[in-house]
Amino acid sequence: MARRIRTTKNLAQRMDLQYFKQSHPLRRWRLWLSILVPFVAVGWFAVQRANSQKIYSSGPLSAAHSVLGRQCNVCHVTRLGLFRARVSDDACSKCHNAPAHHADKVTFIASCGSCHIEHRGSPHLAKTDDASCTQCHSNLLTRSGGLQFARVVGDFDKQHPEFAALRPGGRDPGQIKLNHYAHLRPHLAGPAGPVQMDCQDCHRVTAMDSSWPYSQPGSAPNPLPIADGVGDHLRHSRSRDHMLPILYVNQCAGCHVKDLQFDKRFDQAAPHDQPEVVQQFLVQKYSEYFASHPRALAEAGAREQLLPGAIISHKATTPLMIPHNRQDWIDQQVMLADRLLFDKGCKLCHIMIPGPGALPTVAKSSIPRRWFLHAEFSHDAHGLLTCEACHDRAPESRETADILLPGIRSCRNCHEDGGPRHDAASGRCSECHAYHDWTKEQPTKGTFTIPQLRATASP
Amino acid sequence: MAGLVVAAAVYVPYSRTAPQGANGGTATGLIYGSVASVCMLFAGLLGARKQVPVWRIGRAQTWMRAHLWLGSVSFPLILFHSGFHFGVGLTRALMWLFVIVFVSGIVGAMLQHFMPRLTTERIPLETIYEQIGRVRSQLVAEAQIVIDEVSAALAGNVSQATAQQRAASASAGTMGGVTVASGLQVDEGASVQLQEFFRRQMQPYIAQRGSKGMQLADRNRSQSMFQQLRVLLPPNLHPAIEDLENICEEKRELDQQTYYHRILHGWLLVHIPASYALLLLGAVHAVMALRY
Repeated sequence: MARRIRTTKNLAQRMDLQYFKQSHPLRRWRLWLSILVPFVAVGWFAVQRANSQKIYSSGPLSAAHSVLGRQCNVCHVTRLGLFRARVSDDACSKCHNAPAHHADKVTFIASCGSCHIEHRGSPHLAKTDDASCTQCHSNLLTRSGGLQFARVVGDFDKQHPEFAALRPGGRDPGQIKLNHYAHLRPHLAGPAGPVQMDCQDCHRVTAMDSSWPYSQPGSAPNPLPIADGVGDHLRHSRSRDHMLPILYVNQCAGCHVKDLQFDKRFDQAAPHDQPEVVQQFLVQKYSEYFASHPRALAEAGAREQLLPGAIISHKATTPLMIPHNRQDWIDQQVMLADRLLFDKGCKLCHIMIPGPGALPTVAKSSIPRRWFLHAEFSHDAHGLLTCEACHDRAPESRETADILLPGIRSCRNCHEDGGPRHDAASGRCSECHAYHDWTKEQPTKGTFTIPQLRATASP
Repeated sequence: MAGLVVAAAVYVPYSRTAPQGANGGTATGLIYGSVASVCMLFAGLLGARKQVPVWRIGRAQTWMRAHLWLGSVSFPLILFHSGFHFGVGLTRALMWLFVIVFVSGIVGAMLQHFMPRLTTERIPLETIYEQIGRVRSQLVAEAQIVIDEVSAALAGNVSQATAQQRAASASAGTMGGVTVASGLQVDEGASVQLQEFFRRQMQPYIAQRGSKGMQLADRNRSQSMFQQLRVLLPPNLHPAIEDLENICEEKRELDQQTYYHRILHGWLLVHIPASYALLLLGAVHAVMALRY
């Protein structure tokens, strides 16, 4: 029986020499798939294109604009039946009136789309990249006038100047004699005994509606004065961002009302107002008193004894005369009360300027409502920190002129360029700065219907 | 590679300073996209080059190297072009297609690098893949010849026995002990069992593509089955059993080769169609991007 022998020759003879001419399943599959897959791809594109223009989209819309996702032509205004990829500022202005800042000075006005980059699925389109700002501010050039800001501003970590108020020569413009150190001492005399004051007893954000612990007894908190100062535009009056202004009636009266007591014969203190108003109040009070106390003239000799301590006044040299009639008596009482108030009570906090007339002038308090005139800061967003964590100089400050604003180094402890990438808070320009001059914002008038926006049939 | 390093070096400041961030719409982004498109087109020309192997335009090896390098470079260039964003709609489809093409290409390149050596090592009887079906039927024929020869040999033993031996064979087992007569009876049974083994086990195993559900596909089990056959058959026929065993071993190697071949070339079923789709939709994207 012959053995099965494998030689190169008989192995070669096994082969069909024309085998390469026959189709093979793998090659056949490859061919068909190479036809089918591109065909399916183009078919998919055609179907998508027929259904909507979204196929052209380069990325998901921002959260605020996602409602426009079905109607590209709301922003990409169609011309000659074809939409344009470039969105004109006119399309943005249909809904947003956002005046550019320093429009008269800057060398060019950036288009909306050059800073607010759409189709990136951004949750906050307003938070622009730093490059949008540094394209000008890294080497600031103006068309006219000098530079109001630093010429070179780059990233927050290294190329941002110190806050304006803290630069050399800066001082608190306030004219109220406030000693933070004294107010934060323990066992301070409060309206009902010793108290330990806290920052929030006087400094609160707008939205906090709890009662003030040291407000004027029995009075409702005064309404917010929304008038003077920068950044009072509605868009910037975010209720939890900014501190309420310091008002006597809200923050001071609880303890300092006693400094406006002018006569122990009256329970009511003098009003915290301009000297003319105080004067009028005093005349009225003494007139009423005289009418109800026929023996007032006889008591007049003892009046000086009511005044605590020595009084130094521009009228101190005026000898006290024995009043002979009602008017003399009232004038004398008012003069004595004036001395007490204007030379002592008011001076405790205010700077009193001798006026040309009989009454002094109270220097305007000038407590800054906002320290950052060109930036936004939210106290609410920083609510997890103690006040002293940033305002570290406040507990030891004894002078009104002390600027207790934290410096940029304090901010840099937490805020870094690239923020979340470095486990830090963002250091982007748009965290604090707004490009648009919202004080010039005008209301816009809507132009779309819901079906136009949502690509649905009219109800 | 140097070009890629330059592209990456340019990308870093570009992405940090571009007011809109890195994206395909900027001049730099368009340059990245254009260069990547050219790379992809050249990489795609390998397919055309293979269709016409007689063209004397560079060596096949050069073409393959160019394909690999250009394909590898084009992917990061496209990422630079897109600013590492996938986008939505057409751009997202393109990016995913490119990922599929790129990953399948990398996998394919690795397979092409390692698999041929592995095949050579593990399949000494490797044949032309397209001829495996034909070789299988030849193996069936060869096995059939061996079976016929063995059966004939066994039948010869029985036919050449004397009447006395046949009578003794009939009574074998009743008297005890092993005799020539009892051997005749064994030969007849062995022939039947061999035929049965071939018909039920070996012939279907060799004839069919693959080895699913077949006992002979397992080498150990196959060895034990052939060992049983050796017990049944006289020693002079054992070389024939060895031939049958070799035929099964060859079939196992053919199956193994089929398996390796599918791995080695199966990725092309993904890579090539996806590449065509990518080039097609990429052209649509380029036209739309430049037009709008």
